[in-house]
Amino acid sequence: MTGRSLALALRGFWYLLLVFLYAPLAVVVFYSFNAINSSARFAGFSLTWYEQLFSNDAIIGALLNTVALALTSSLIAIVIGGMLGYGFYRYRLRRLSWLIWLIYLPMVMPDIIFGIAEMIFFIAIDERLGILGPGLGTMIIAHVTFQVPFVALLVNARLLALDPQLFEASQDLYASPWQRARFFLLPVLSPAIVSSFLLALTLSIDDFVISFFTAGPESTTLPIYIWSAIKKGVTPEVNAIATLMIGSVFFMALISLVVQRRPSASSTTNRSASS
Amino acid sequence: MADPAVGSPRTESAIRVDATSKSFERGVRAVDAVNLEVGAGEFFTLLGPSGCGKTTLLRLLAGLEQPDSGRITIGGQVMDGVPPHRRSVNTVFQSYALFPHRNVRRNIGFGLEMRGIDAGEIDERTQRMAELIGIDGLLDREVAQLSGGQRQRVALARALINEPDVLLLDEPLSALDADLRGRLQLELKRLQRRLGMTFVFVTHDQEEAMVMSDRMAVLDAGRIVQVGTPDAIYEAPAALFVARFMGHQNFVPIHARDATGVETPLGRLEGAFGAGDHLLLRPETIRLDDEAQTVPNCFEATVEERLYRGETTEYRLACGGLRLLASRANRGQPEHRVGETIRVGVSPHGTATVSD
Repeated sequence: MTGRSLALALRGFWYLLLVFLYAPLAVVVFYSFNAINSSARFAGFSLTWYEQLFSNDAIIGALLNTVALALTSSLIAIVIGGMLGYGFYRYRLRRLSWLIWLIYLPMVMPDIIFGIAEMIFFIAIDERLGILGPGLGTMIIAHVTFQVPFVALLVNARLLALDPQLFEASQDLYASPWQRARFFLLPVLSPAIVSSFLLALTLSIDDFVISFFTAGPESTTLPIYIWSAIKKGVTPEVNAIATLMIGSVFFMALISLVVQRRPSASSTTNRSASS
Repeated sequence: MADPAVGSPRTESAIRVDATSKSFERGVRAVDAVNLEVGAGEFFTLLGPSGCGKTTLLRLLAGLEQPDSGRITIGGQVMDGVPPHRRSVNTVFQSYALFPHRNVRRNIGFGLEMRGIDAGEIDERTQRMAELIGIDGLLDREVAQLSGGQRQRVALARALINEPDVLLLDEPLSALDADLRGRLQLELKRLQRRLGMTFVFVTHDQEEAMVMSDRMAVLDAGRIVQVGTPDAIYEAPAALFVARFMGHQNFVPIHARDATGVETPLGRLEGAFGAGDHLLLRPETIRLDDEAQTVPNCFEATVEERLYRGETTEYRLACGGLRLLASRANRGQPEHRVGETIRVGVSPHGTATVSD
C-alpha cells in the first residue's frame, strides 16, 4: 500500500469511528423533534415532545432530583477530593502510594458490584440505627464515593505539575498557612477544581447503576425514569430527555475545556521560557 | 586548614551562624558545624561544587529547613523555630518561582499584600521598584509571556520590594545565557551597592563569585573551607581543594626544603617560599624564553600544546614529570611549536604555597 492510500484509509477509518460514536446520539436528537410518535419516519419539525415533557410532573420531579443530587454530591466531592488530592501531594514522599491505590480502586470497580454493596451496606445501617433509609441522602453518599477519586486525581495531577519552589516562594513572601491556602493554593488549583466539579456533575447525571440500587421511592432521577419508561417502549419523549442530557454534558465539557485553556492554567512551571 | 573565624566582616553582622548542622534522611551531613558571620550591607557569596551544602545553608537562612543543631541569628534575632513567613528574609529562587496565576504586578506585590499593606501603597511601591529594576513596561504582562531574563528581574523585584534584612539568591543567573548573565551580574552588584542591602548569593561558578562578592565562603562536603575576599582566596588558597576550585592548575609538590630554597620535581628552586607542601604556580607568572633568565630559577620544558587565545597564548608544558600551564600576553614574541624545548623561569615572588 502506498503512503497516499494508507493516509486515505486511515482518514476513512477516522470518519467511520466518528459515525459510530455520534450517529446514535444524532438519531436520538433528530427524532426528539419529530412531529409524530415514530423512530422510523420523520414527519416534520415540532417541539411537541418537549412540551409534553415539561408538563409531566414525574419527569420534572426526576429532573429536579437529578440536579439536586448532582450539585450536592459534586460540591461535597470537590471538598473531600480536593483535600485528598492535596494530602497525597503534601505527603508524597512518605511511601503512601498504596493508600492512593486504595482510593483509586473504586474507579475500576464494576458499578453493579459497587451499587449492590452500597445498597446492602445502607440497609444494614438503616435496620440497626434507623438512619440512611433509601432516598436522596443515600444517593448523595454513594455518588460522592465514586466522584472523590476523580477529583483527587485531577487536583493531585495539577499539583504535581507545579514548580515545587512555588510553595516555598509563598512561604518566603510572608504568607501564613491560611494565606497560602487562600492566595496561592486555591487560585492555582481553581482550573482543576472547576473541571473536576464539572466532571463530578456529569458522572452523577450519567449514573444509572449505582443510583438504581441506592434510590428510594421518592428519589427517581432522570436515568432511572428513562429506564422505567422504555420498558413501555421508546417514546419521542425519552428522546427529548436524552437530548437535554446530551446537551448539558456537551455544555459542561465545553466549559471544562475553556477553563483548562486559560493562560494561568497552562503555565504550570516557570521553566517554559520563551525569550 | 584555615581557621573559619578568619575573615570577619568589617561592619556589624547581619547574619550569625553558630555551630549549625543539618543532616538529611540518608545520614548525609549537608551542613556540618558551620560558623559564619555576614556583615550588614555585604555582598557575600557561598561558593562550592554541587552537593557541598551551599544551597542547604541558604535554605536554613530562609527557614525552609530547620537546623538539627546550632543557632542562626538574623538582624540580631535568634531564628530558632521561626517559620519562613515570619523572617525578614526574601529569596530569589533558582527557578524564579513566579506565581502562574498572577500577572507581573500582582507577583511583585504578593509579599506586601500578605503583610496587610494597603492597596494604594502596594501600587506605589510596585511602580517604584519596577522602575528601579527596569521592568515598568512589563507590569501588566502574564508570567507565561516573559523571557528568562525578564523573569529573573521580576523575581528580584518581588523579593526586594519587601525591604528584607537579607536577600538570599539561589544561583539566580545559572539558567541564563553567558551574555545576559554578564550584564545581570553587573546590574545585581550595582543594585546591591545602591540599596546597601545584605545579599547572600549562592553559586558554583568561581568567576561569578569573584566578580560579585565583597567576601565569600568556599564550601566542601558541608564545611566551610575558607572565608575571605575574592583576591585573598584566589591568591592564598587555604587548601588544595580551594586552589583547584578557584581555577589554579599548576601544583608542584615540595619534597624537601632548607633555608635558601626547596626541592621539587622541576629541580631545586631558590628563594623564600611559604610553608605549604605544594607550590602554586600561576600561569601568568611563569616566564618563557629570554624573560626566564631574569628570574632566579630557570629550567627547560617541552611544549605539548599551544593554545592561541587572542590576548594571550597558553602553553601546556611537560617538565620533570609534571604538566604546567603557562600563559603569556601576546606582544609579538617568537611563537613555539609543539615538541620544541624552551626555557622556563619561576620567581619566588608572588608564588604561593598550599597544603592539602
